[in-house]
Amino acid sequence: MESKIKFSKLFDKDHVGYFFILPSLLIIFIFTIMPLFEAFGIAATDMNIFMSKWNFTGMENFIRSFQDERLLNSFKNTAIFVLFNVPIQIAISLVLAFWLYQSTWFGKFCRSVYYIPVLCSSTAVGIIFNLMLNSTVGYIPYIISKFTGEPIALFAEEKYAMAVIIFLAIWKSFGKTVIILVSGINNISSTYFEASEIDGANKFQQFIYITIPNLLPTLNFILLTSIIGAFQVFDIVYVTTGGGPNFTTETIVQYIYNRGFSAPYEVGYASAMAVELFIIIAVIILFFKGFMERKIEKTF
Amino acid sequence: MRKKKINAYQIIKVIVCILILAVVVFPFIWMILSTFKLQKDIIKWPPSIWPKAWTLQNYTKVFKRIPLAIYIRNTVIFAGGVSICSAFLDSLAGYAFARLNFKGKKWLFNLIILTMLIPFQIIMIPLYMELNDMNLLNTFFGLIITRATSAYGIFFMCSSYTGLPESLEEAARIDGLNEFGIFARIMFPLNKPTFITFFIFCLTSNWNDLIYPLMMTNSTNMRTLPAGLAMFVGEGVRETGPALAGALISILPLFVLYCFAQKYFVEGIAVSGMKE
Repeated sequence: MESKIKFSKLFDKDHVGYFFILPSLLIIFIFTIMPLFEAFGIAATDMNIFMSKWNFTGMENFIRSFQDERLLNSFKNTAIFVLFNVPIQIAISLVLAFWLYQSTWFGKFCRSVYYIPVLCSSTAVGIIFNLMLNSTVGYIPYIISKFTGEPIALFAEEKYAMAVIIFLAIWKSFGKTVIILVSGINNISSTYFEASEIDGANKFQQFIYITIPNLLPTLNFILLTSIIGAFQVFDIVYVTTGGGPNFTTETIVQYIYNRGFSAPYEVGYASAMAVELFIIIAVIILFFKGFMERKIEKTF
Repeated sequence: MRKKKINAYQIIKVIVCILILAVVVFPFIWMILSTFKLQKDIIKWPPSIWPKAWTLQNYTKVFKRIPLAIYIRNTVIFAGGVSICSAFLDSLAGYAFARLNFKGKKWLFNLIILTMLIPFQIIMIPLYMELNDMNLLNTFFGLIITRATSAYGIFFMCSSYTGLPESLEEAARIDGLNEFGIFARIMFPLNKPTFITFFIFCLTSNWNDLIYPLMMTNSTNMRTLPAGLAMFVGEGVRETGPALAGALISILPLFVLYCFAQKYFVEGIAVSGMKE
């Protein structure tokens, strides 16, 4: 009798949750958390990719990384990428979502077309833009040359390369942000909009006082995931400039990849830098998450 | 029905939207037209948009050079398998975090969010060694199982389940449905639009993933489209025409699927009529 009561208790509202999350937790534990700890271990060695004789070196990799100017440079590049990519992408998507959330044919059409680049692999985007922006055969430099008289090599010049990468990253993924935001806006009770219209609010006031505050949970999700994604930017750099010219577009993950999976193949050192990146993102995100959650609690 | 007012604001709105449409669409139009150009027309100055002479040789060449059909099959199995597993498991977990109470919930949720911050590059090597130890390299099971759930998906599902009205759940509980029943019969069907949205997000990101399948497979028989294509371009061949044709072919299947799933997708999460 005793055990039967306990058994049924397992499935009540306060315990059944464990069954819901168990499969996910197991998979995350085995294939993410365990490898993460292994990586911490590798970071404390001078292992290379061939795994041939390696030694335990303790904190040496970390100490070495603080004097690595190339790492500092890649941090700077990543910071520039995050600071421009995240706000611009969210601002554009927010305005477009507010304009296009209604189910008119124009709204639906724009939303669907904006999503097309999201469907493309970075490989495909790289193939297209490497050719389109190529200074000797590309169409965009050709158009520029009609205004300036000379074609500009967008990927090959230090002052433009990062800007082009930021543009490409936004081009490739703003459609997804728009769609998530549209879902969020459609979830806002239409009575708010109707009431504010009766009170004589214009579109701009509606946007600031109704859309934004009610969208905070969705915005929270988008902000966090896009900050994380931006810090880890890799694919789009890898398929276009590969970090060049002169390391002006080399982001942290690109540098980690270059260190660990090409020429010196220093997996140990690469892991140490990855651990540092992880800690930096974690601190920023936890700070941000607390900040956003307090804001959401205040609004609701 | 209100009468439509046309003012400056409306006009600016439409013009900006159309300009952005052009920026999005132009590279694709250029790519599609370029796949029908002769190689010498692709690499000439000044470049032109319209092909001088139309040809299909870029397509025949890319099929001859790389086993595209096998790549497509592999990509469908890998991305499809991952998306189905992930959408179901993430629904379960996301629902639990949104609607159920259990000890350590907040702590576990934060732990899962934390795993989102881990760059794939940091766990790539240990993961490779792990799959190697389990004899799962070069298998679809190995490719799929490590991605059968995602922190992003759990977060995504959790946000949408949080927004569903509580009254339905309470009514079902009073009617005597158990917790699994409430989820399977009431909450899961209500959340179907989000389920489909996430399924497509997941499908696209895995369909397009480059490094993970590249690392975990080494036989041509197991390569996926982006990985195979990247190898083809990476060979340093100067065949831009076939590369463009390959890129176009790699986009097409997702594009067709996207056109069919549109109804759910662009409509977003429509819970109208059930709001409190």
